[in-house]
Formats: sequence, C-alpha cells, structure tokens
Amino acid sequence: MAIAILIAALAGATLALFFQPRWWFPDAISAHARAYDSQFALTLWVIGCIFVLAQGGLAWIAFRYRDQGQTPSANSGNNRLEIVWTVATAAVFLALAFAGQGIWAGVHLAVDDPRALHVEVMAKQFAWSYRYAGADGVFGRVDIRQIDDAGGNPFGIDSTDPKGADDITAAILRVPAGRPVELRLKSRDVIHNFFVRELRLKQDVVPGMTIPLRFTADKPGTYEVPCSELCGLGHHQMRSALVVMPPDAYEEWLQEARQKVVLP
Amino acid sequence: MTIFSTDHKVIGKQYIGLALFSVLLGIVLSLVMRFHLVHPDAKVKLFGALWPDGAPGGQMTPELYLSLMTIHGTIMVFFVLTTAPQSGFGNYFLPLQIGAHDMAFPVLNMLSFWTTALSLLTLLAAFFVEGGAPLSGWTAYPPLSGLGRITGPGQGLGQDLWILSIALFCVASLMAAINFIVTIIELRAPDMGYFDMPLTCWGWFVTALISLFAFAVLLAGGILLLLDRTAGTSFFVPGGLIVNDQIQTRSGGSPILFQHLFWFFGHPEVYIAILPGMGLISTILSTFSGKKVFGYKAMAIALLAIGGLGFVVWGHHMFISGMSPYSSIAFSVLTLAVGVPSAVKTFNWLATLWGGRLRFTAAMHFALGFVSIFITGGITGLILGQPGLDIYFHDTYFVVAHFHLIMGVAAIFAIFAGLHYWFPKMYGRFLHEGLGKLHFYMTFIGVYAVFVPLHFAGFVGNPRRYPDFKEYEFLKAVMPLHIGVTHAAYFLAAAQLIFLFNYFWSQRRGAAAPANPWGATTREWRDD
Amino acid sequence: MTNTARAGQTLLIAASSMFFAAFTSAMVVRRGLSGDWIAPPLPAWIWATMLLGPLASWLVQRGQIKSAMAAGAMLVASQLALLSNLRMAVIGEAFCAVLIAAHAAHAAAGVAALGRFGARAGLFWHFVGALWIYVLFLFGVWA
Repeated sequence: MAIAILIAALAGATLALFFQPRWWFPDAISAHARAYDSQFALTLWVIGCIFVLAQGGLAWIAFRYRDQGQTPSANSGNNRLEIVWTVATAAVFLALAFAGQGIWAGVHLAVDDPRALHVEVMAKQFAWSYRYAGADGVFGRVDIRQIDDAGGNPFGIDSTDPKGADDITAAILRVPAGRPVELRLKSRDVIHNFFVRELRLKQDVVPGMTIPLRFTADKPGTYEVPCSELCGLGHHQMRSALVVMPPDAYEEWLQEARQKVVLP
Repeated sequence: MTIFSTDHKVIGKQYIGLALFSVLLGIVLSLVMRFHLVHPDAKVKLFGALWPDGAPGGQMTPELYLSLMTIHGTIMVFFVLTTAPQSGFGNYFLPLQIGAHDMAFPVLNMLSFWTTALSLLTLLAAFFVEGGAPLSGWTAYPPLSGLGRITGPGQGLGQDLWILSIALFCVASLMAAINFIVTIIELRAPDMGYFDMPLTCWGWFVTALISLFAFAVLLAGGILLLLDRTAGTSFFVPGGLIVNDQIQTRSGGSPILFQHLFWFFGHPEVYIAILPGMGLISTILSTFSGKKVFGYKAMAIALLAIGGLGFVVWGHHMFISGMSPYSSIAFSVLTLAVGVPSAVKTFNWLATLWGGRLRFTAAMHFALGFVSIFITGGITGLILGQPGLDIYFHDTYFVVAHFHLIMGVAAIFAIFAGLHYWFPKMYGRFLHEGLGKLHFYMTFIGVYAVFVPLHFAGFVGNPRRYPDFKEYEFLKAVMPLHIGVTHAAYFLAAAQLIFLFNYFWSQRRGAAAPANPWGATTREWRDD
Repeated sequence: MTNTARAGQTLLIAASSMFFAAFTSAMVVRRGLSGDWIAPPLPAWIWATMLLGPLASWLVQRGQIKSAMAAGAMLVASQLALLSNLRMAVIGEAFCAVLIAAHAAHAAAGVAALGRFGARAGLFWHFVGALWIYVLFLFGVWA
C-alpha cells in the first residue's frame, strides 16, 4: 500500500521537475540545434508516456493486488501477449532510432560547403588554440619541433613556409553569424572534447586524427566551450569560448588580426 | 569455515563479504567527492591526514578528486556489481537450485575468489604509491593512460597497478565463468532440463557466458595498454605528440582502437551486473505474488537475447569518439533493439504481479523498487541510444544519472532483495523486516532524490568528471542542484547504516527462520 | 575423460580463442590504420616448430606423456628464443611478440596440465598445437 503511493509520488515528483524552467537547455543558435530540440522533444514525449504508463501501472498493480486474502490467479503466460508487446515495443523503439538519424546525418554526413570558413583547432593539456588562414586563404605547413606556446606559436607553424607567415592564431574562436564553419579538430597530447551547448555539438578531439566539425551559427553572442573528455588534472579548467559575431564586425576583427600577425 | 575453503557456500559468503567491504569504500569515496563538489575550497584536516600529497593542508587537489572518482568507479563496477550478484549469490545458490553438491571445480572456485581478493588489494595499493591512484577514470583511455607519469600524477605506478588489478580480475572472472557454465551444463539434477531451471540460474548462466567472452577481450586490451606504458610499443599511442612540452617518439597507434577493445567488454559488463539481478527479481516477484513467473520461457529467451545483442552495441559508447559516422547508425539501431528484450522483461514482471496476492515483505519492497528504478533508468537509454541526441548528453551528468540508475542502483536493489530473501537460508534467521522496510523507504527516496536531479544537470550540459564547477559561467546555475544532490547523498548513505546494523545484528539475534519461510518453490529451500 | 573435464577445457578453449581473436582484430585494425607496418622478420627454422604441437598431441594419444611434455617444452623454449629477437618499438614485431608470448603462456600451461592431469588435459593441448599453427600462418603468410 505505502509502496504503491511512494512509487506514484516519486514518479510524480520526477515529472514535476520538468515544469521548472531553470535547469534546461540553453537557447539554440543554429538550424541543427533547433532540429535537435525538436527530435529531443519528440523522444521526451514518447519516453514520458512510457514512464507514466509503466510507473503508474506498477503502482496501481501494487495497490490493486495487495494481500486481501484473495486467491492468486494461475495464469502463467500468454504467447500472443508476448508477441504483441515484443512487436509493439520493437516498432516504437526502432521508429525512434530511425527518426533520430536525421540530426546525426546533418552533422556528420554533410558534404563540404565551398563557402565554409575553415578554422583549425588545436587542443592540449589544458588549453585551446584556433588558427585561421591568412589573406592567401592557405594554411601554412606545421612542424611540431617549432611549437612554442609562450612564443605564440601553439600550432608549430613552420617559419620556412611563406604560406604560414600570415596565419592568424587565436585563443578564442570567432566566427561570423550565418556563414558555414568547418572546424578541423586536432590534439597534440591526449583526447579532449570540443563542446558548444548552444550548437548542440560535441566532438572528441583525438590525437593522431583530424576530425571535421561543421556548423552554421546564426545568433551573435559569446558561448562557453568546456572540455568534455577527461584529459587530466586541469580538465575542468580547460575553458574556451565561441564568439559568434555579426558579419561586418567579424570582418573588422579579421582585418585587425591580420595586421597584428607578426612574421616569424 | 577455513580461509582457503573450497566449499561453494563459504566462497559465496566470501564474495559477498568482499563486495560489502568494497561497496562501503565506494560509498565513502563518493561522499568525499560529493562534499568536494559543493565545497571546493574547504580545508578538511581529515583529507590532509589521509592524503598528505593529494590534499596538502586539507585542500583537495583536482588530481585527488579524479583519482577518487577512478577508484570509486572501478570498485563499484568490478568489485561490487560484478562480484555480489554473480559470484556471491551464484556460488551459494546455483548448486542448491540445480541439485548439485558443489560447483564443478571447487579448487578453481577457491582460486578465483582469492585472485579477486588479490586484484582488489592491488587496486587499493595504488593509493599508497608515488603519485597516488590513477586519474584516468574507470575507462582509462589512452593516451592519458598510455604515456606514464608525464600525463599527470597518478599516471605512473598508480596506473600500472590499476591495469594489473584489472588483468587479475579478468583472470579470476574467466575462471569463475568456466566454473559456472560447466556446473550448469553438467551438474543439473537428472530431472531438470534447461527450461526447468529457475530464472536465477538463467541469469547466472547467461552472465557467465558473457563473462567468458568479454573478459578475454578486456585482458587482451589491458596487456596491450600495459606494453604501451612499459615496453615502448605504439598500439594506442599515435605519432607526433607533444606532452607536457616534450616530444614523444611513438608513432602510428590508435587511441580509438583501445576504446573498441574496452567497450567490447564494457558494454556486456553492464549486463554482467544486471542479468543475475533480473533473474532474482523474477523469482522474488513470483514468490511474493503467489504466482508462477509470467512468460517463463519468454523471460529466459529475453535474457539470452540481451546477452547476445549486448555484444554488438558497444559502439554507442563511442558516438562522439571520432569513429566512422556510418557505424554509429548501425550501433544506434542495434542499441534500441537491445531495449526490446528489456522492455519485454518489464512487461512480464508486471504481468507476474497482475492478479496475484502481493505480500509486501522487505525483499518484495526491494523487488518492486528494482522494477521502478529499472524503468526510470532504462527509458533514458532511448535518448542516449540515438547518436544525434547523444551528442549533447555524452560525458554530461545525464549519462552519470542514467548508468547509476540502470546499472548501479538497480543491481544494488537486486542485491538487497536477494539478501532479504535468502538470508534465512544462509544464516537460519530473518533479517529484521521492519528495519529492512525502513531501509528500503529511505533508500528508495534517497536514490530518486540523488539521481533524478542529476539528469537536469545534464540538460544544462554539465560535463562530468569535473572536480569543481567554478570555472564556468553556465555552471553557476547548477550549483543549487548539486548542493541538493549532495545532501540527498548524505541521507542515502546514512540509510545504509540501517542495513549494516541489520545485517550483522540479524546474523546473531534475528528471528529464527523455518526451512522454507517464504513458501518458495525452488530447490534450495528443500532440506539439505 | 569425464564430461566436466571435457566441458571445462572446451570453455577454456573458447575463452582463449576470444583472447587471440582480440589480439588479431587489434592487429588488423592497427595495421590498416597507419603506414608504418613492416612484416616481422621470422627465421626459417620457425616453421619446423609447427610440428611440435601435433607431435606432442600424437604422443599424448599414445600415452607417452613425458615425451609429449618434452616436445611441448621444446616449443616453449623455441618461442622464448624468438621473443628475444623482436623489437617492441616496431609495431609488427610488437604484435608478433605479444602473440608469441601469449601462446608461450598457453603452451607452458598446457605442459604443466599434462604433467598434472596426464592425458585428461589432452584436449587443451590439441588446441595449443592448432593455435600455434594459426599464429605462424598469421605472421608467416598474412602479415
């Protein structure tokens, strides 16, 4: 009896938490993020119904069949019922699996956009760096022996390659709103993870690999980038930021940054 | 009762004792972590005394927090969830339930327990060596775990001991798995076919089959990782690395390869923890409903299906790892498919209760609690199993909440249910029913209060494995939630003291139990 | 051989197979991923050791356990000799060393089991012999 009430009460309290506005996703800032939110809402409704029916059913059965001296039924199985609920569950679950593929494909199976802004991302214990091609639109060669964090060359841009002389290196990721961006994620020590909540994007950054990550942010603002793969004792401080700028402000910043590049 | 006993009942109790010690240690570690999360700047003399290097002046360092987290996870997964339901209850009750005198290989059985004990000591030794325990988590991903001291304190000898401990555990589990399977195949009573076995035996059977294949792969992965650390190989360590400003000489290794080997074991491990519990819960629900298990055959087949499908879903732990996006789609479909037999089990549990005459003993309380937790923890799998949705939640507190409920708490509820149910058989006395129910109510409320809010930290995007949340603007919002969770965790831990008292008090003073106190129908309750 | 002994060995063989399958698949993946693969140089005499496993099996069948153990010990000794020449920093040789060492551990256990249980441990020994042929072909032909 008490347990029936408790199950119902705890399930109700769980549901009630969904009606507080405080602990929830930040606002979406890309088409992908909005698609993500609607697939999440769909899934949440489905599992919400399952949750209510299952917990409610459990509580009701515990109440209804409490010991009142009745004779227990001798029913110990029903093959038709087994088939029905197996097929029904499979249909619902697999439908969810297929419905969810769209947002995945949108991030990972998209083709390169010729208009895309390419930015290289370098992760290390415990900092992020970003590299933009200079006015020539080409990234210079790198040489790991020339990596020098204190000297402002975290990527190890090769001083013997003229194409790298105008590359811009930054500690914050700035992108123009509305333009497709393609990041190329690299790590030079352990696995890190690039996460922007507002973009609903997260990608491991694996040493030895260059992993692409594409997005188009449409809402200017500053968004925090927390490292989201355990990378050592400074993991929780490996913080960076994505700054989405209005296109003209971005151009202005870019021109300024280009002028500041010191030729190595 | 001799120390190196070969008697299955003694070994079963030894495993339960080892799990009890481990779970208490694991709980203490989690309380220290929960305290630190909400008081990151507190200076605690006790911490300074326990860990002079990790908490100088009582101020906990991030590396100490991460090593507590690593040992908490390792202890709970391996030495609690893998030992108690399978090796503890299984050793004690499998021979009794199938009418055998003992396990097939009693000496091997003794060896597997003591290898497990040695493995636990090896793990705990990591706290006492230079640099302390490893900080790479229970998943120990290279290169963080593959390059030695240079990647962080604890990554030296501490990480070596961790790998050695896991390797020993693998060997012990392989020996146990062989023993369980042979016992079931060869030593069943002549009148007992496979589909006459209680579902508990089916749970242990499928779990042993999973262990046999999964631990062999983990052992192989552990050996390769150890060689990367000690012999200068490049299995998992790629070229072109600069760690701590030093250029590394390795080349060509793949960090993702380790993840494949690890999760090929790691996902079936979830089922190793929960399948024995599923079998046990079926038995308890049936006994206290006064009904047979509904859909017995479907339940046995569902266990086999979960065990089988469990081997082809490991990739859902790696959706954001950088592996091929096409394989994620396949793993996603298979992952949601493995949810189907789990749902079938839930339907059958409800149908077992339906039309029964429910006796709310303490064991029955925990069994009903198990079903409730299994539902709550299980349905979030429908979110995490979709790679597109997993992107946001991966490595956040949402995942922490999900696996603690479905793997940790559900299995622990099954252990509590089992202890209440079988205590009379093990000690000839009852666990105190009133204290048992009080313990249940506090634990059930405590578990919901701890883990449901953590999902909401996940909605905010709160990354896991952070020693504190001071660095980020957006994490300031979740602090009140974490403070609440920490208080709920204190409450939950305090509730376990009731059980601890009950467990030891009842062994001496509990009410004497008759031979078959619950009116059960399985063989272990017949006279010896 | 009792049923439990046969079942126990069969399961041990299943677990060992999985253990070697894990190494093999790791090798396939690792080899495919990077351009640094060089086939490990194995001396020609190694092919002769292929016969030691089946020889010991034949001796077990004839009840000559001591001779079988001697053949098994020779196999282990030749494996240890091979191991001393492999360089761990070269990935192909490292995999070769891991598989040979893993096999040597199995062969040594097989010899010990023959000493302890006699012909009852024959099934495991047959597996050890076959496994060695597999390892040799893996490196001699495929890698």
